[in-house]
Amino acid sequence: MSDKQRLERDIKMLIIEALGLEDISVDDIDSEQTLFGEGLGLDSVDALELGLAIQKTYGIKIDADAKDTRNHFTNVACLAAFVTARQAA
Amino acid sequence: MINFSIAQWRAWAPGLDSADDWHAWCRAPVLLPASEASPDVSFLPAMQRRRLSRLARMAFSVGWPLAEGLPDMPLVFISRHGETPRTLDILSDLANEAPLSPTQFSLSVHNAVVGLWSILRNETSEMTALAAAGDGLEHGVLEAAALLNEGAPAVLLVITEEQPPAAYAGWIHDVPFPYALGLLLTPGDEWQLELTGSTVQPSTVAQWPHALNLLRTLLTEQGACQHAWKNRVWNWQRKL
Repeated sequence: MSDKQRLERDIKMLIIEALGLEDISVDDIDSEQTLFGEGLGLDSVDALELGLAIQKTYGIKIDADAKDTRNHFTNVACLAAFVTARQAA
Repeated sequence: MINFSIAQWRAWAPGLDSADDWHAWCRAPVLLPASEASPDVSFLPAMQRRRLSRLARMAFSVGWPLAEGLPDMPLVFISRHGETPRTLDILSDLANEAPLSPTQFSLSVHNAVVGLWSILRNETSEMTALAAAGDGLEHGVLEAAALLNEGAPAVLLVITEEQPPAAYAGWIHDVPFPYALGLLLTPGDEWQLELTGSTVQPSTVAQWPHALNLLRTLLTEQGACQHAWKNRVWNWQRKL
């Protein structure tokens, strides 16, 4: 498993745990699957909760008002790339 | 004095899931052992039930079957202490200067259960969330009777209490175990509730929460019960 795959798996686990998705496993979430609205079907409260979980877990700061924040939360692959870029910065 | 009928009831507490369980408990009431058990709310889609606390699950588990098949109707939701575990979580985060969970925060208000009920049932009738003292049941029935008097064909009353976290144990003495009672109230004169003001002797304070005491009266076919709280004495009378 590559670092990228490992990070994506960790983020899927974080999503399941932070958002109480008791009926869903890591294998049920595709890294390219849309998280909000369509796809996994998460809502705006989930967005806030997930943002908080990502900040706590990876020690990074997310600017809720920044234009590209929404893009980082499109799917697990985008989130992993965002976390990797921020941690490197 | 108010009149009404109790058309149906539902109740839940850890280990007491069926009507038979409640009939047995009401004949020989005992303190239930501490339990993390939560009622079945699988009638709700997984994505909708995942944020529900046990208190919300208890309210839904007793209210939902009573509302099924009936047209929209008002809801009176009563809880004296509310979501004490959530409150403690949020206050603990604040004390530790940690960011608050948006989910916890959004569901921490007293009418959160009523809001979820409205969203999940697409219900827009009048809904009330009450927090009274130990006689919240009676205040809720008063509210329901007012709605019936205004012309509602039925009113759903849900009263529930969660086991408070240990941190609150020194202050909360009226929740022996988590419980919920749902009553489908309709116009009628099967029951009569009257408030009399008099000095309450400590010996007349009910051993069980009023909701459970009323259920005992209901299920053991007694004609009356009396619930005293502070300077308020509530007389329940039933036409048998």
